[in-house]
Amino acid sequence: MKSFRRFALYTTIATYFLIFIGGLVRVSGAGLGCPDWPKCFGRWIPPTNISQLPADMDRTLFNFTLAWIEYFNRLVGVTIGFLIFITAILAIKYYRKVARIWIPSVAALIFVAYQGWQGGQVVTSQLQPLLVSAHLVIALIIAGLLIYATQQAYYIDNPSADKNAIYPRRSKMWLTILWICGILQVILGTQVRSALEILEASFPTTPVAQLVTQIGVVNYVHSLLGILIAISTCYVGYIILKQSRNTSMLVREGARWMMILVLAQVALGLILMMAGVPAFMQLFHLWIASIYIGILFMLFSAFKKGVVDAV
Amino acid sequence: MPSDRKFPILIPIVAVLALILGLGGLLVIRTAEKSRDTLPILGSVPSFEAVNQDGTPFGLQSLQGKISVVDFMFTNCPGICPVMSGNLAKLYNSFSLESRLQFVSISVDPDRDTLAALQDYARGFGVNDSRWQFLWMPQADVVNLSENGFKLTAQDLPSGHSNRFVLVDQLGRIRGYYDGTDDDEVAKLTLDIPKLTKAI
Repeated sequence: MKSFRRFALYTTIATYFLIFIGGLVRVSGAGLGCPDWPKCFGRWIPPTNISQLPADMDRTLFNFTLAWIEYFNRLVGVTIGFLIFITAILAIKYYRKVARIWIPSVAALIFVAYQGWQGGQVVTSQLQPLLVSAHLVIALIIAGLLIYATQQAYYIDNPSADKNAIYPRRSKMWLTILWICGILQVILGTQVRSALEILEASFPTTPVAQLVTQIGVVNYVHSLLGILIAISTCYVGYIILKQSRNTSMLVREGARWMMILVLAQVALGLILMMAGVPAFMQLFHLWIASIYIGILFMLFSAFKKGVVDAV
Repeated sequence: MPSDRKFPILIPIVAVLALILGLGGLLVIRTAEKSRDTLPILGSVPSFEAVNQDGTPFGLQSLQGKISVVDFMFTNCPGICPVMSGNLAKLYNSFSLESRLQFVSISVDPDRDTLAALQDYARGFGVNDSRWQFLWMPQADVVNLSENGFKLTAQDLPSGHSNRFVLVDQLGRIRGYYDGTDDDEVAKLTLDIPKLTKAI
């Protein structure tokens, strides 16, 4: 059903936009822009002026820009929740008998509802680091579920796609390794970020460029793993493009973009380390990692359809 | 899914979207960073009349044109005043080259705190110029200024005075409150003062 596939695709793209916005909240320091949840300073629409604050709220907490950045995140979150709701309805309507489509769609709906509540926990816990990281991980899970549902719908509409695909030997193993390392790398990235935050809080007057050198082991591991992932990704991407047969556009474009993105990631990582972790680069580093993970997952699902053999 | 044919169109679309996100993100981050450098405006100091430890009149107009850190104390204070004045003395010394900054300590014990007592107290903390002034005003006036002007409680004086340092900008507006006995909050005050000097 083309309408489901198209809608699910737009919802998936919108979810990645939301991940971008969430990253923007993080790097602009707007996480506590609205100190309460779900209302913002006791209102459904944030104050535009400090005089609009309720009498019992600490006025020093109010920052117009940060409040509205955080509120925009919540608005977009609700919108995506609504889009996922419609996706789930469409999945049940058109693919009631196809478990691999309606189950992930409904699961995405459940997760996004949970995500909304979890976002509230992030705020009330005053941005406890584990909860902040969990908020990102759940977002990636939701994106993954939507990718899966969309991709399965694509295969139903294009039954021959990737069915007769032949992949180079061990490429599936490599892909699995890459995917696991990618997730590990995201977790390591959150730890690098946490370590830096702790250093910034302890030494508020030291420039960030100097603090970066104090982060420690986790930074070295993250950097090293990043380079290894980049090399492996380019190897896997290359053999998929050159040595696979009968692959669909999903696989070809996926392989191509995963290489482009991983190289962009390494470049961003280098810039972050050398230029004192500029907020703008952090945002794209986080976002591109999320997209990369999604592409890997998409390729992984594609590989399941075809045959992995010596080519 | 768009077919292969449509892909050449997709790449410029993706590029434009990435550019919009990039520029938008940059703008938002810049605005957020600038907003964090801006201290909130929490109120305005009202008119008042006092004299400093040398007998010179000191009022609202003496606050204007300079950045001021204001607190309330009394010279016979056994508890928090030594800590508060000690912290102010640290700031007095570390900002010694900043002529746009002044410290104003207001006595809540006008009966016992004579001008001479205030001068002694000042000397005890190393005050040797006009950057730190100690004010004397009648009891009723000091209660009024503390409670209505600075929104700080002034019950059971002299010992019931507030422990807060108040940051006042060059237009006489209150820009922040800091617990003068808490090292972290004093550290935050140290970082907030330059945000106001930058604006002059």
